[in-house]
Amino acid sequence: MIFRAENLIPLPMTELDTSGSAIWEADSFSFDNGKNYLVEASSGKGKTSLLSIFYGLRKDYTGRFFIDNNEGGLLSSRDWSLLRKNSVSFIFQGLELFDDLTARENILLKNEITKHKTVLEIEYMAEQLNIASFLEKKCRILSFGQQQRVAIVRAMCQPFQYLFADECFSHMDKNNSEIAFQLIYDECQKNGAGIILTSLNYAKIKGIDYHLKL
Amino acid sequence: MRYLFKILWKDHSRTHLFWAVLGTLAGFVILLSGIHFYENIKGIFDDNSDLLDPEYILISKNVDIGQAFGFGGTGFSEKEIAEITDQPFAQQVAPFVSTEFPVSAFTKNERFPDFYTELFFEAIPDEFIDVKSEEWKWEDGQNYIPIIMPQDYLNLYNFGFAQSQGLPQIPKEVIGLVQFQVRLRGKPHHVTYPGKIVGFSNRINSILVPHDFLTWANKTYGYTEKYKPSRIIVVTSDPTDPAIMQFIQKKGYDTIKEKLKSSRLNIILKFIISFLVIIAAVIIGLSFLIFLLSLQLMISRSADKINKLNKMGYHFTEISIPYIVLLIILLTGVTTLSLITTQLIAGKFSSMAAEWSLQISEKPGGLIYFVAIGLIVLLFIFNSVSILLSTRNLSRK
Repeated sequence: MIFRAENLIPLPMTELDTSGSAIWEADSFSFDNGKNYLVEASSGKGKTSLLSIFYGLRKDYTGRFFIDNNEGGLLSSRDWSLLRKNSVSFIFQGLELFDDLTARENILLKNEITKHKTVLEIEYMAEQLNIASFLEKKCRILSFGQQQRVAIVRAMCQPFQYLFADECFSHMDKNNSEIAFQLIYDECQKNGAGIILTSLNYAKIKGIDYHLKL
Repeated sequence: MRYLFKILWKDHSRTHLFWAVLGTLAGFVILLSGIHFYENIKGIFDDNSDLLDPEYILISKNVDIGQAFGFGGTGFSEKEIAEITDQPFAQQVAPFVSTEFPVSAFTKNERFPDFYTELFFEAIPDEFIDVKSEEWKWEDGQNYIPIIMPQDYLNLYNFGFAQSQGLPQIPKEVIGLVQFQVRLRGKPHHVTYPGKIVGFSNRINSILVPHDFLTWANKTYGYTEKYKPSRIIVVTSDPTDPAIMQFIQKKGYDTIKEKLKSSRLNIILKFIISFLVIIAAVIIGLSFLIFLLSLQLMISRSADKINKLNKMGYHFTEISIPYIVLLIILLTGVTTLSLITTQLIAGKFSSMAAEWSLQISEKPGGLIYFVAIGLIVLLFIFNSVSILLSTRNLSRK
């Protein structure tokens, strides 16, 4: 799966200084099949905007983008729904978990429509991320770092060819971040999927193919 | 789908849904009972139509002061007769034919006092007459004239005139034996025939002779001005049809009102029922709005969740499923409850009516199920469309 941006820029960014940006300044930029990208920038440079546009959540942009030669702007709600279920997974910066549901229910809510993982597999992932003991707790009482890990497990509960990870380790300690990245990385390798990882700071992470400044 | 239902159903307002269901229920029960009663009561009128015997309606024109002084006539023109014939309620129409020469009757009998009277005859085709008699016919050279009198005349004589004047009362069966002569005082000459009363009519308030006889007599002896028929007899399949009454009133004609009483009752009944139906429609309309608004409120409360679900890959049609399932549950509940309630009311009403010796079915007819299901389908379609539209809008945000 390839994401290609052509003169793409979110409308709020047109007013701002984007000099030095690998994507907003480029006539054409491609995220190639199965490659891992780290997109790095300070706040307000459009990291989340880029991923949201690629995920069909934002329409306020100029230029065009393509997903495997299909113009993103022309996809129907049904197409997007299928893409989000089967092809592209997203770990949101805002997590988008349901406070009323337990961690387990949040994960199962996703797995219910994809039927991708077994309960055992989910429990195994939770164990790896040290959140197995929180699975029956409501999300609202979990710390943000714990919630991030729930969101990561949830994102794994679907087939995907690309994973968008939007500052998903921001509230985890170094040890947990490494475990979490390893889990994501292994899953991507298994699927032959690419990653677009965004981060505030330059982080040396093994397995990253390209390092972009936005 | 379990968790989807769990998070989306959480945002319902029990009070809103309760009132929506109650309102719809009330509207449905009023509407369905109204239809049930109307069908039944209409049935009673239909059953009684033969008792009232108004399948034959006599229409005449009102006599006003002008006509009393000889201006204008009370006859029906050919155009007016054609107009009556064209009315949907009129199956058969016949004008009364009257004599175009003077007629008198007299008796010459030892056992009966001498009697002389001026007379008139009218005729209508045989199929309109309620007296069946073998003697009721006219053939050339026949030596008597068959006559049908109104039952009222005999009653007047027997119970009024005869008693007060000390004359003998005459039984119906014997009247045929009374011999009297009828003189047709036509031009060019007078002829006298024996008259024979062959029956008494309850339906037609006139002295009748066979149609064939009068046609022949008018042609042979008639010399006076040919009058327009002053009375029309109309056959109708549904004497309770309000259109008859409306037509008669609109044209300023006259008829025996008693016979059309059931028709007037029918109009009042229709009026009351339509009033009931309008109220039911208003209630259903309002509860429909509450229904719609409750679901919309529920959806807007879940706006944030719907947005999240969309991001997770749930399509808005999938997100709508819990709302539509809830809608189906509520509407099925409303239909079932309203049909049960209507049945209970119908049963109660039926036993009440039985005390007044009216036969009213305790089982509602098929129309009620048809209306109930039709309305529910309509409610379902409107609400589903509204649910789909709002979940689509919310998932786009």
